[in-house]
Amino acid sequence: MEVQLQLSVRRSAAAASRTCQSCTSLILPRTATHQQIRHQATSSRHKRALRVPPHPSFIASDSAPKTDHIIFNPPSSEPSIFSTPFKFLPKNDPRRRANLPALFSSLSVAPATNKLPPLLPFLPTEAQPKVHHLKPEDITEMRRLRAEDPVANSVIALSNKFGCSKTFVMMCCHAPKEHQEQHRERLAAVRERWGPKRTKAREDRVRRKDMLLRGEL
Amino acid sequence: MKRIRPAPQELCLSQRRPQSTFAQPSDPIAGEEVPESQPTEPVDPTEDMSRFPPLDPTTKKSARYPSPLPERALKSAKLAALRARLALSEKIPLQTLARALVDSTADKNKQFNNTNLAFLGHTLINYHVSEYLMVRYPRLPMAIMYSAVAAYAGPDALHTVARQWGIEAAAVPGGEVDPGLLQFSTDKTPTVPTTFGSRRAEADYLDKFNWRRGINSRVVLDDDFGNVVQSPSHSDDAAARSADNNAALRPYGTPETRKIAETAYANAVRAVAGAVYAHRGREAVKAFVKAHILSRQLDLSRLFAFKMPTRELSNLCAREEFEKPVARLLSETGRRSRTPVFVVGIYSGSDKLGEGAGPNLDAARWKAAMNALKAWYLYSPGEDVRVPSDMLVEDARPWEPAHIDIGEVI
Repeated sequence: MEVQLQLSVRRSAAAASRTCQSCTSLILPRTATHQQIRHQATSSRHKRALRVPPHPSFIASDSAPKTDHIIFNPPSSEPSIFSTPFKFLPKNDPRRRANLPALFSSLSVAPATNKLPPLLPFLPTEAQPKVHHLKPEDITEMRRLRAEDPVANSVIALSNKFGCSKTFVMMCCHAPKEHQEQHRERLAAVRERWGPKRTKAREDRVRRKDMLLRGEL
Repeated sequence: MKRIRPAPQELCLSQRRPQSTFAQPSDPIAGEEVPESQPTEPVDPTEDMSRFPPLDPTTKKSARYPSPLPERALKSAKLAALRARLALSEKIPLQTLARALVDSTADKNKQFNNTNLAFLGHTLINYHVSEYLMVRYPRLPMAIMYSAVAAYAGPDALHTVARQWGIEAAAVPGGEVDPGLLQFSTDKTPTVPTTFGSRRAEADYLDKFNWRRGINSRVVLDDDFGNVVQSPSHSDDAAARSADNNAALRPYGTPETRKIAETAYANAVRAVAGAVYAHRGREAVKAFVKAHILSRQLDLSRLFAFKMPTRELSNLCAREEFEKPVARLLSETGRRSRTPVFVVGIYSGSDKLGEGAGPNLDAARWKAAMNALKAWYLYSPGEDVRVPSDMLVEDARPWEPAHIDIGEVI
C-alpha cells in the first residue's frame, strides 16, 4: 500500500515536472502528451474511392490506330460568335454555296428523327400555345375597372379575371397617380426595413444583370 | 510677308528659319496667315550653357526659336533611331520627322509645327480604318462602328502607338532641346484635327442637361468618332485651369494636362503617317497604317451592350423572315444546388442561332440571345476581303462589290 502510494506520488511529481518543463521552456521541443489513435481506415477514402475510370471519350476505340497518336478531346466550351450560323449568312456568301449539300441533308432529315432539345418550361409550347383572345373592348373594360378601383382591381385580380399575364395588364393600363404614389411609398417602407445583407443582395442582382447585358459575365 | 526657302549656303547665317517641309500658306487648317514667330528675347535658355556646353554647336542659335531648327534634325540620334525603328524609308527626310514631333502648342507657326501633317495623317488613318471595318464587318451598328474606329484611330489608341514607338516628350519645348523629342506645352489649347462635322447649336448644354444625342444626328453633325465638335473657346478654360496647377504638387498632371499630352502624342503619330504619304505616296501609307494601326488587336464582341436582347432578336428574325426564335434547354447541371449551370440555345426552326450558359434559365436565355445577335452583327465575308483602296494599284483584279447590309435592327 505504501509502495503504491509512493509510486503514485513519484509519478505525479514526474508528470508535474514534465508539464512544468513543457510550459516554461520555449526552446526545447514540445513533446506530445497525447498520442493520435486512428479509429477508421482511410485507405479506401484516399485510394480506392478516387480510382475513377477514365471518361469514355478518352478510351481508344477499336477503330483508333494501335500506334502512338494524339487524342483531341477539348473541354466543352461556348461556341465562338465569330462563326456565323448558316441562317445568318447573306444570300451571296460563298460559304452558303459551299454548304449546299449539308443544307440539303439537314432539310431531308425528318423532324421525328431530328429531335430538338426541349423548350424552356415557362415558354409557350405547341401543346400550350400563346393565345391572343382579348378584344379591344376587353382592354377598354380592363382600363375602366383599373381606373375605378385600383385596390380591388389589382393587377393580379385583373390578370386572373381576363386570363392574361400580369405583364400584359401592366402594358394595357396604368393605375391613377395617387394609387401609384401610395404603392411607391409602401414599397419604400418595405425597403426601409431591409437589413444590409438583403439590400446588398438586391443591389448586386441589378448589377449582375447590367453586367450580363454588357457581356461581362 | 512672303517667305522663301533660303539657299543652302545661307542656312546657318539666315535670321529667318528655313522650313522643314513646304506648306501652302493657304491650307485649309491655317485659315489666316500666322505671323513669323520672332525669337524671344526676355528668357534666354542658353545662359547656363557655359557650364554645360552643348554637344551641338547649333544649339545656341536654335535656342532663340520656339522649336529646334530643322538643320539640327540631321544630328539627332533619337530621330535617326526613330526612323530606323519604324523602318521608314530614307526618302522621308529627318527634318520632316522632326517637324512631325513639334506640336502646335509648342510652336504656333503652322509652317514649323505638325498641324498640316497631322491633318493629312488623320484623314488617311481614318479612311483606311473605316474602309477596313466597313468591308470586313459590314453589319456593325453605327454606335459600334464609331467606337471601333475610335479604338483603332482615336487619340487614346494613337497615344499608345506613339508610346510604343518610343517617342519621348521634352519637359519643356524650346529650340535648344533635342529634335527627337516630342514637343508640346500643357498650358496652351491643342489643335485637334477635325475633318468632319459641324458644331451643334446646343453643344454647350449637352453635358449640362444631359441631353440625348441620337445616332442619326451624330452621323450628320458630329466628328469622325461620333463626338461633339467643340468650339475652340470651350477648351480655353480647361487649358487655363491646367496652367494654374502646380507641376511640383501634381507630378502626373491633371486630367486636362494629360488630355493635352495625349492629343500631342496622337498628333505626332498622325503627322508621321502624313509624312509617309507626302514623301512615299499612297501605297506606302496604306502599308504603314496596316502595320502600325490595323494590326492592333481589338475584340469587337466586347463593344456590344444590349437592353432587350430577346426582343431585338425576335425583331431581327421577323425582319429577315426567319422562323420565330425559341429558347431550348440544351443541358443543365446542379439545378437544386447553389451554383447551377443551364445551357440554353436559341433556335429558329431547326437551326441553332446562339448558345449561352448562365446560373439561371433567364440569364442563359439572355446570353444566348446576345450571342445570336453578336453573331449576326459580327458577320464577316472573310479575313482576306478586298477593300476599295486595293483597286488603286495598277493591274488590279476587277472589283467584286462588297456586301452592304440593310442596316441594324431597330
